[in-house]
Amino acid sequence: MSRTRQLIDALRDQMGGSAPLPPPPPLPRVAEPPARVYPRRAEEKSAYAREASAHTTALLGIGHVGTRYATDVVLQFQAELAVAHEAVGQELPDDWAGKSGLISLQSRVQSHREFLLRPDLGRRLSDDSLGVLRTAVRRGVDVQPILADGLSAVACMQSGLELLAEFTKACEARGLSVGTPMCAKFARVWLEDEIGYEVQAKVAAILLGERPGLGTGDGLSAYLVYAPAIGKTDGDRNMMSNIHARGTVPKVAGDRLAVLSKAMIDQRTSGVALDLSHLTAELGEAAGRHHRAPQERVRLVEVQS
Amino acid sequence: MVRSWVGRGSLIPEPCRVNTRQGRLPHRPPPLRYRVAKGRIAGSMRLAATVRNVRYTFDTVGEVMAKANPPKSGDVLAGIAARDAVERVAARAVLANLTLADLRNNPAIPYEIDELTRMVEHSLNESAYAAVRHLTVGQFREWLLSTAVDGMRIRSVSPGLTPEMAAAVCKLMSNMDLMTVAVKCLVVVRANNTLGLPGRLSSRVQPNHPTDDVDGILLSMREGLSYGCGDAVIGVNPATDTAESTAEILTAIDKVLKKNGCPTQHCVLSHVSVQMRALDLGCPMDLMFQSLSGSEAGNKAFGISIALIDEAWDKMKHLGTARGPNVMYFETGQGSALSSAAHHGADQLTLEARCYGFARRYDPFLVNTVVGFIGPEYLEDGPQITRAGLEDHFMGKLLGLPMGCDACFTYHARMSQDELECLKVLLATAGCTYLMSLPVGDDIMLNYQSTSYHDISSVRRLTGRRPTPEFDAWLSEMGIMDGDKPGERFGDPRVIVP
Repeated sequence: MSRTRQLIDALRDQMGGSAPLPPPPPLPRVAEPPARVYPRRAEEKSAYAREASAHTTALLGIGHVGTRYATDVVLQFQAELAVAHEAVGQELPDDWAGKSGLISLQSRVQSHREFLLRPDLGRRLSDDSLGVLRTAVRRGVDVQPILADGLSAVACMQSGLELLAEFTKACEARGLSVGTPMCAKFARVWLEDEIGYEVQAKVAAILLGERPGLGTGDGLSAYLVYAPAIGKTDGDRNMMSNIHARGTVPKVAGDRLAVLSKAMIDQRTSGVALDLSHLTAELGEAAGRHHRAPQERVRLVEVQS
Repeated sequence: MVRSWVGRGSLIPEPCRVNTRQGRLPHRPPPLRYRVAKGRIAGSMRLAATVRNVRYTFDTVGEVMAKANPPKSGDVLAGIAARDAVERVAARAVLANLTLADLRNNPAIPYEIDELTRMVEHSLNESAYAAVRHLTVGQFREWLLSTAVDGMRIRSVSPGLTPEMAAAVCKLMSNMDLMTVAVKCLVVVRANNTLGLPGRLSSRVQPNHPTDDVDGILLSMREGLSYGCGDAVIGVNPATDTAESTAEILTAIDKVLKKNGCPTQHCVLSHVSVQMRALDLGCPMDLMFQSLSGSEAGNKAFGISIALIDEAWDKMKHLGTARGPNVMYFETGQGSALSSAAHHGADQLTLEARCYGFARRYDPFLVNTVVGFIGPEYLEDGPQITRAGLEDHFMGKLLGLPMGCDACFTYHARMSQDELECLKVLLATAGCTYLMSLPVGDDIMLNYQSTSYHDISSVRRLTGRRPTPEFDAWLSEMGIMDGDKPGERFGDPRVIVP
């Protein structure tokens, strides 16, 4: 036997032979860890979490287990993640627009995956939809609203019709003519440029599901542009986000979007050039171009005991 | 893909060059499975390789670079990606046999139309370049991986590398190759504390708020500090891009840091011109921030230029409140140039490297890629985001930057939370200078998922790393950490006095 071999064998003996670890000591009954719940009611929150929830929706004061989250926090987090992913993953059923009394349109995108990967195709209408648009809708209107799926078909189907109705009503109340109600599938914001141009609308307004955040898959955003035409950029648009029950509710949003539309038609412009300084009372926070309304964090996981 | 390259020099190595260098450098002939065309044939025909008896030809170095890139949805969107895996290998075979000099002579965007190309060309360290100019990209990969090459050697070569060279060698490396070289790189910078020392992992506290509520920002920041986060920077992305708001947030953060004797830096990530106006208002500002793009046109879309960042840097040297000397903070991310149609037909990895070529002009304290933020049209899923994070970290480090990473995804990208957690451990293992940190990783303003306060101490313990020495001492003093273990006040934000 070589010297090295002998040393290796001696080392093995020294490290306990066939039992490299000592037997574990017997374990007494493990004490239940203190309850660490994701705070849903004021009395359950830590003082810090209570103070924090008055100022921010960030999940603060949630404590820790070692360096990781408590089980309850993990479940809340996973529920919020599931809400966001479900909103992104859901497709608008092909017959939803028709059943909802809307003209049904689709971009050049063919599948959901293509929708996520090809923003360029989501900004243009399919040939079929272009045909529909040229024959079946009212032209030369003041405002052409377009309901669309965007990044959350869930949001579109949940509160889209209500927002569309409120917006339409608010526009008509201000003496603006409103185009044929329509809904576009696999739509990106800039699709409003081609649609608005085709129907010769003064203002195109696309109302679409917004990129979901953690636990919030139901938000709609609205993007408005004056004199829509292919080639308009984001600087030409005004937008409003967080249109949902916890942010700006559809009734209020519809009114504000109508105020914006009227201002665009009066000033014959939109985006950076639009002066909203005299409308702050009517527009509220939406007077800023990129305002995001604050929200509340809702507990999603309830375990029955 | 039709595009014009204004080449200034030979497109590929002289046929004899590789052979004559054999005596000086370890060089193995290419394996027999593929054969790279050499010889005095028409320039465009020389960029060719044969894989399994199929001949692949490429018109330009740019086409070779794009097709050699690992699969990225953004390159597909730009219409420049390899058709399939075999064409990708053929492109890599051609790339492996170009010299670093060829890459200098064929920048991704022509010298005549891009100020970044010109700046890199004029500021390149010629003696460092001369030491490696003759190496092929394949040889350069092997040199970087060899045991004898350590952090100091890489520091010597960094200033002689163009971004295109870093991108090219990156394309020939696997994920573990990228980590193996990156962990060797040595980049140490100093503002109020010292970042990038071996065995250290730092973090930015990112206490963003959808309406810039200063109380909300401070509450989140205090919690982050109590988890041992924030030694890289307390950095707030503001919802309102005004000088007054920037100054208000900085002043409030500065007060809390001073009161608690916390050795770190602060920054509000508004546009650089807004921060310059905020400095004029007389507010404290430890670091000045700007997002960078990899082309002059891309930077124009960001509202910046080399001249503007020069001016900002100069102003910071005089009015910045950190001890320095490193006072700038830059963020980047693959796909930003394409998203503003400013990519000039170049692939997103090469353009990302060019951001680092821009950043290193300013000896920054922080540079990080925001790797999964831009969305699935540029990086589709977990494997692409993971790969890009490791690539960006590698290229930044190779070019001499204190490279961090915002390991993150948006909710419409196909990446799971588990994959994201893995990426954080990979980055730390690769020696990543810093990660982000937010409550539960959830950015309530920008709507994406990043690193959490809890993740930072977890990753540090997993990989045996500690915060910066100054911050480490402060954490012990506060009872937040007890050596490398959580201390008595760990996770208790009340330990930080408001």
